[in-house]
Amino acid sequence: MSYGVRERLLAPDNRMRVVGVAAVAIVLVAAPFVLGGFQTSLLARTLVFALFATAFNLLYGYTGLLSFGHAMFVAASGYTVAKIVQQVAPALGIESIFGGAALMVVWILALVIGTAMAALLAVFIGYLSVQLEEIYFAMITLSFSMAIWVIVNQDIIGSALAALGIGGGTFTNGSDGLTFRLGEVDLFGLEFRLVDIADPIAFYLLTLLVVAIGMYALYRVINSPFGTTCQAIRENPERARALGIDTQFHSWMTFIISGAFSGLAGAMLVMLKTGILPSDAFWTSSATPVVMTVIGGPYAFLGPAVGAFTYEYLRWIIRQYPLLEEFWEFSFGFLLLIVVLFFDNGVYGGIQRLREYVSDRQE
Amino acid sequence: MSDDRTQQDSTSSDGTSRGLNRRHFLAAAGTGATAAVAGCTGLGGGGGSDTIKIGGVYLLSGIAQALGTSSANAAEVAVKQINENGGINGKDIEIEVRDHGEDPQAQIRSLAQEFNADVMIGLTSSGVTLASAPTIESLGVPFTLTDIGTPYITEPDTESYGNYFESDSGRAAFTPNMFRTNSNTSHMTYAIAKYVADNYGESRVANMGPDYAYGQQCWDYFKAYSEGLGMNHEYVTSEFPSLGASDMTPQINSVLSADPDLLFTSFWAGDATTFISQAAEQGLFEEVDDVFDTIGADPTVYEALGDTTPEGIHMSGWYWPTAYDNENNQAFLDAYREEFQDDDTTPSIPGFTGGSTYAAIYMYKKAIEAAGGTNPEDVISELEGITIDNDPRGQTTIKEDTHQATAPCVIGETSFDADVPYDGAGLVNTQTYTLTRERSLELLDGSGLGPGL
Repeated sequence: MSYGVRERLLAPDNRMRVVGVAAVAIVLVAAPFVLGGFQTSLLARTLVFALFATAFNLLYGYTGLLSFGHAMFVAASGYTVAKIVQQVAPALGIESIFGGAALMVVWILALVIGTAMAALLAVFIGYLSVQLEEIYFAMITLSFSMAIWVIVNQDIIGSALAALGIGGGTFTNGSDGLTFRLGEVDLFGLEFRLVDIADPIAFYLLTLLVVAIGMYALYRVINSPFGTTCQAIRENPERARALGIDTQFHSWMTFIISGAFSGLAGAMLVMLKTGILPSDAFWTSSATPVVMTVIGGPYAFLGPAVGAFTYEYLRWIIRQYPLLEEFWEFSFGFLLLIVVLFFDNGVYGGIQRLREYVSDRQE
Repeated sequence: MSDDRTQQDSTSSDGTSRGLNRRHFLAAAGTGATAAVAGCTGLGGGGGSDTIKIGGVYLLSGIAQALGTSSANAAEVAVKQINENGGINGKDIEIEVRDHGEDPQAQIRSLAQEFNADVMIGLTSSGVTLASAPTIESLGVPFTLTDIGTPYITEPDTESYGNYFESDSGRAAFTPNMFRTNSNTSHMTYAIAKYVADNYGESRVANMGPDYAYGQQCWDYFKAYSEGLGMNHEYVTSEFPSLGASDMTPQINSVLSADPDLLFTSFWAGDATTFISQAAEQGLFEEVDDVFDTIGADPTVYEALGDTTPEGIHMSGWYWPTAYDNENNQAFLDAYREEFQDDDTTPSIPGFTGGSTYAAIYMYKKAIEAAGGTNPEDVISELEGITIDNDPRGQTTIKEDTHQATAPCVIGETSFDADVPYDGAGLVNTQTYTLTRERSLELLDGSGLGPGL
């Protein structure tokens, strides 16, 4: 690991990247202290979606598999988180064991188990889905996610449990979803509210930490031999097979990794919203990371993240103007059309080309 | 490769142009800073103590567009009236109403934190209300629900009914800074159960409702109140077409084949229109003695149905323009007519959310004047137990412990003789119903359902 770290960091190609990352990091850490409550939570939400879209893009941009059902991982993880915060944590007596830090423990527990549930779901659904390719892959992921939407919206688990004599017929609470309150944390004398809507600095910083770790992990995956194999499959599955790659197995593994990180993003999102509704599992929610990635540019690591920022802040700007808001889908569709027609790799590709153009002019 | 790198390193340490130059740095930093800039533009505003700001969030698009719009209209009429008469404590009211959009909580936060609303009104969906309650609670701004059915949100008794936010089966979701001016599902279903008990006695009853929490809740409460009233109805079938369904004929057929005396429904807005037109086509209204509906009685529904509405069925709502004989109602109707008589897209009489929304604005006026300002805690403590003098539905009071107004609901008979400014039916022979928490507890005893009153 440590071999040549200094040399690598200082290599001219990397130096710019290091400075760029450092600049972004400084801006993001400083942001909540400058921004108001609303902007801070918008930024937190955007970061979570950046992770979600990047996780989605591992499958789409890097492996060439368009999943149209990634909201199912948000749902799997989100309902798990809600269950843990609402019921499991009180039942385990975490409050009495950990005292003031209990909420942090619950948070970590929910995050880990939520992600694990999403990964578990991806193991099963991924195995069945990777048997297909192209449009058929998109359709099968869409069908699975809609099946999960029906399960949570109709509270089929609750009815099934009730039939077995467990519980009162509610588990996912149907169309109302699950909502919870997160209270105060007292961590070694440092008291704060975990999800404080009015002043969400604490939760923002936690989000930044989780998203940074998630993004770094995905970056390592993509830049490993595993990631290179993904790209080989994207470029030419037949040739990849001829080279001895078990493309189906590899796609399956990629699906699981993508699902797990989507689950991680979902857990953070549900914490931020203090609740989950069945609509979070609906196909329109699955479309969000797709749109973000296409806007941002699927063929660059940071493309989906740029897309998430573009999406969320454009949405915010549109919301400021009632006339645009009334037709916001139209405004968005128009933007998407421009990106697809005139940019070969989304906004990220656009930024790169602009940079090249500027430096050409100056040299 | 390694040679290459060493070479490059040495050149840059010589201080020549390779490696990190200003242009590259700017390009990299610029990309990162874009986010911050985008964020910063949202700052500013704020302060603004020369007006009283009211933020509103309603469904202004999709299935319930007509409903949300009529709430917004009623609020704007009240605001205009108050501003013409000196405002609140000499300050004008500024109101901004936004659509739920795909992220209602973001709209609520934006109105509270960006628009800096002093008080808020809103919401057109019980599901959204329950999901947004923790957000609204931590924002701390007084929030008055004017269009919400679910009794849970005004039920404080977590001991008996379970905490909504701590279990999947809890039914008490009382939130300290949330209030409600409309009569809720508990009132509506009681009124219908009582009407049935008084006029039809024990019957064969069927149910139809939209397939989500509201439809299910209405049916559960109707059955519980009927039982409380000593009615052992025979419940022959219960059908739930999906919300916004375009075809309800399968469900209507199965109701027809169950051969009920009475049909209880909980459709509203677009669903009420769909149900009535398709049920009329299949002759349902000739087969049953009576049909009831919880909150379908709205001018936009009758206007859309034209001459299709069957006469003589019973529909209820939170407000019907001709059901109250008092000067506040007349003032409201006059102001509303004046505002919208030249508007082709809006009926010139208020919808069924009109009364509660208009009342909410006047309630805020009284509370802010009594509190001497807009400090949220002071306003909230004034709101607890406040009597709304200008309520078009007659004086109502916000109950201190539940934050629910003692609001009446109204049941009427559909008829083309009703005095309405559009081509279509309206309600005649209207009756209003009120219900106290004590009476409700008595009637619901043993059902596990909370009064929410």
